[in-house]
Amino acid sequence: MTEATAEISKESQMKKQRTWRLVRALLPILGLILMFILFNFLTHGRMMKHLPLAMSQVYVTMIASMGVFFIMSMGGLDFSQGSILGLSAITVCVLSKYNIPLAIVGGICTGACIGAINGYFYVNRKIKSFIVTICTMFLFRGLIKFLTTNSPVAGSADLVSIDSTFFKVTVTAVVVLIGFICFSFTRFGTDLKAIGAGEKAAKFSGIRTDRMKFLVYVLAGAITGFAAFISAIKVGSVTSSGGNQLETQILIALVLGGMPISGGAMVRFSNCVVGSLLYVVLTSGLTMIGFTPQMMQLIQGIIFLVFVAIFADRDSLTVIK
Amino acid sequence: MSEIRLQVDNISKSFGITKALKNVSFNINKGEVHALIGENGSGKSTLTNMLCGIYSMDPGCGRFILDGKEIHSKNQVDANNHGISIIVQELGTLSGLTVAENIFLGHEERFIHGGIFRNTVAMNAEADRLLHQYGFDRIKASDLVDNYNFEDRKLIEIVKATYFKPKIVVIDETTTALSQEGREELYKHMNRIREEGGTVIFISHDLPEVLAKSDTITILRDGTYIDTVKSSDVTEEDIKKLMVGREMTGNYYRADYGEKISDEVVLSVRNVTVPGIIHDVSFDLHRGEILGFGGLSESGMHEIGKAIFGASFDREGTVKLADGTVINDIPTAIKHSIAYTSKDRDNESIVINQSIRDNIALPSLNDLTVGQSKFISWARIKAFALKFAKEMSVKMVNTDQFVSELSGGNKQKVVLARWIGKGSDLVVLDSPTRGIDIKVKQDIYQLMDEMRKQGKSIIMISEELMELIGMCDRIIIMKDGTVSGETLRSRDLNEQHLISMMV
Repeated sequence: MTEATAEISKESQMKKQRTWRLVRALLPILGLILMFILFNFLTHGRMMKHLPLAMSQVYVTMIASMGVFFIMSMGGLDFSQGSILGLSAITVCVLSKYNIPLAIVGGICTGACIGAINGYFYVNRKIKSFIVTICTMFLFRGLIKFLTTNSPVAGSADLVSIDSTFFKVTVTAVVVLIGFICFSFTRFGTDLKAIGAGEKAAKFSGIRTDRMKFLVYVLAGAITGFAAFISAIKVGSVTSSGGNQLETQILIALVLGGMPISGGAMVRFSNCVVGSLLYVVLTSGLTMIGFTPQMMQLIQGIIFLVFVAIFADRDSLTVIK
Repeated sequence: MSEIRLQVDNISKSFGITKALKNVSFNINKGEVHALIGENGSGKSTLTNMLCGIYSMDPGCGRFILDGKEIHSKNQVDANNHGISIIVQELGTLSGLTVAENIFLGHEERFIHGGIFRNTVAMNAEADRLLHQYGFDRIKASDLVDNYNFEDRKLIEIVKATYFKPKIVVIDETTTALSQEGREELYKHMNRIREEGGTVIFISHDLPEVLAKSDTITILRDGTYIDTVKSSDVTEEDIKKLMVGREMTGNYYRADYGEKISDEVVLSVRNVTVPGIIHDVSFDLHRGEILGFGGLSESGMHEIGKAIFGASFDREGTVKLADGTVINDIPTAIKHSIAYTSKDRDNESIVINQSIRDNIALPSLNDLTVGQSKFISWARIKAFALKFAKEMSVKMVNTDQFVSELSGGNKQKVVLARWIGKGSDLVVLDSPTRGIDIKVKQDIYQLMDEMRKQGKSIIMISEELMELIGMCDRIIIMKDGTVSGETLRSRDLNEQHLISMMV
């Protein structure tokens, strides 16, 4: 083969690689648009009409998924988000009888405390994150069930009165915007991605990896603690199943958004925003068409698996010597 | 003319955009040590990895013909069954398994009875017998390989790759990981295989070693076949010319002698102990000095670098800079202008699944902000990475390329680029030229010399005594975790002198 043809094949292969990266980046967004059009078509425009209702789930999912997004960027996992949400919501409801700002702070602190427990066992006791968080998920779900043994924990009437679409959209937008700026334009995001791509090397580059890992779990807990407030103003009370399965929803949302399961360099902030929108459009669309919750879980499971298969980051595993 | 063992027939291979091999053809004979040399990225490892089934062979990309029969190894075990084995560049043993399990990996059926039960006792006994036969009595078959260091694990690999008398043994850049002692062991077994009529394919960057130990040398350059020569017919200079494709000019090592070391101490290390690794080590580093550390690989010298960088676990004693700053952790070390490149390049020096850009910018992110704010500037990061990647002439498509796609030498250049970008004044280089070709080696030596002239201080830890002798103002020899000797730069210094202090 001559040099010239080698150059051409190199060029075309590079192009192919670039196209593939672009497809990976655009697929979730395209999927979101297509899915939205498809469901509107199938429901004869009902989805568009009931948009605020359909979107009512998105606020909690999007805010909470941002915390998990940070954790997954550095290669960790968190299954305890549902229990964090439930327990924080209980705190919010109880404290709302005294003072609303106090309730918000209380929710955030509860979340942060559980995050700190996760972080402590993950970082200091060196247990794999998914094992730790499965344990805390189970443990705090138990506590939620105990606290709601006799009746759901109800909040004050003031709590529900805050609930308005405008408020929730604004708050979610602000939280996500802060997250976006921190992740994309400060060290925070670069450090997280570096830890995800190679923890030891990140440490040798001067990143305080242990402290970072601990703090990110605390942060994710705090963020979900705040999401609990949004969830509480919608319902006004917490039952034993409050926040149930939130962790799976978040995981599906992130994967739908194109998030590589192992975190690292290919992570983008849009993963969590597009992902939670896609997830909510998908679930509310399926409900509107008339699928039962049981069927929905099955369909979600299949979609989840397909997306994991597409987005699992196998490229970065090949090393050329 | 001796008999042909292996015909490499028109082999090509590409990885994504990179064409690693272009229509390579040559023959390898029976009963010879056949060296395969070339710069980093010339395709040596790719070729042998294809032969051993580690990389797949694409259809229509050529053939390997072993003893007249075309072979196509699907994996390493399959290659073993064809009579081909390999000792790889990096760690080739599996953690969590015993020594015996590693040696017989993929060939356990010898010890399995009734299709279910593995006779572990017999397997261990057989492994112990082999280890004894090879003279590695200190390695016990029933131990986990994790109990052994890098060097011993390489010895286990030697046993694993050669005990079944394979037709071809590939030794891929193994000697750089071994101490003098380990190398002698390896040479002994290479000779034995040759005498028994087997063939050794020997990949090494150490040209004197290649000339001394091989019968035939094949040179590759940029994935193409250049020539096959008899070792007895050529000199080191001839091979260098063939490898690089041009005359090598200038000095390999630095040329000056008798320069006085500055009295200004920039770093003082006092009574540093890392339990089980180093014991009570003290020394000073002066401005503009290249201080070398030599010794056997388990002598503790590699830990010295980590101890200075604040990366050692459980370290006692003090590491203090001239201004009184005590270094106890990595961020403090980096902040005070200390740089460190690890022997374990892929895990500790670079974030492997990350772009060249991010790797170069990572330690300097705090300086690459918008004005005085906390917000990082992507424009500055891009410019910064490109500038220092260019300065180090990293071979790349662009700075977005992942470092995992680069060859060893280019990875090391990325590592150096990040610290030069950071402007570090005190540079700790652990095995900086491990597995790197002569051209990049020369670049690194030159860079070290320039840094020294700029008044930067360098600590160079190396298992290659020649480069210590060639580059250092002062050499400290380590043995069993303590300092066993120190010598100053001199023309009369030779390897024997250093070895006598090492063992």
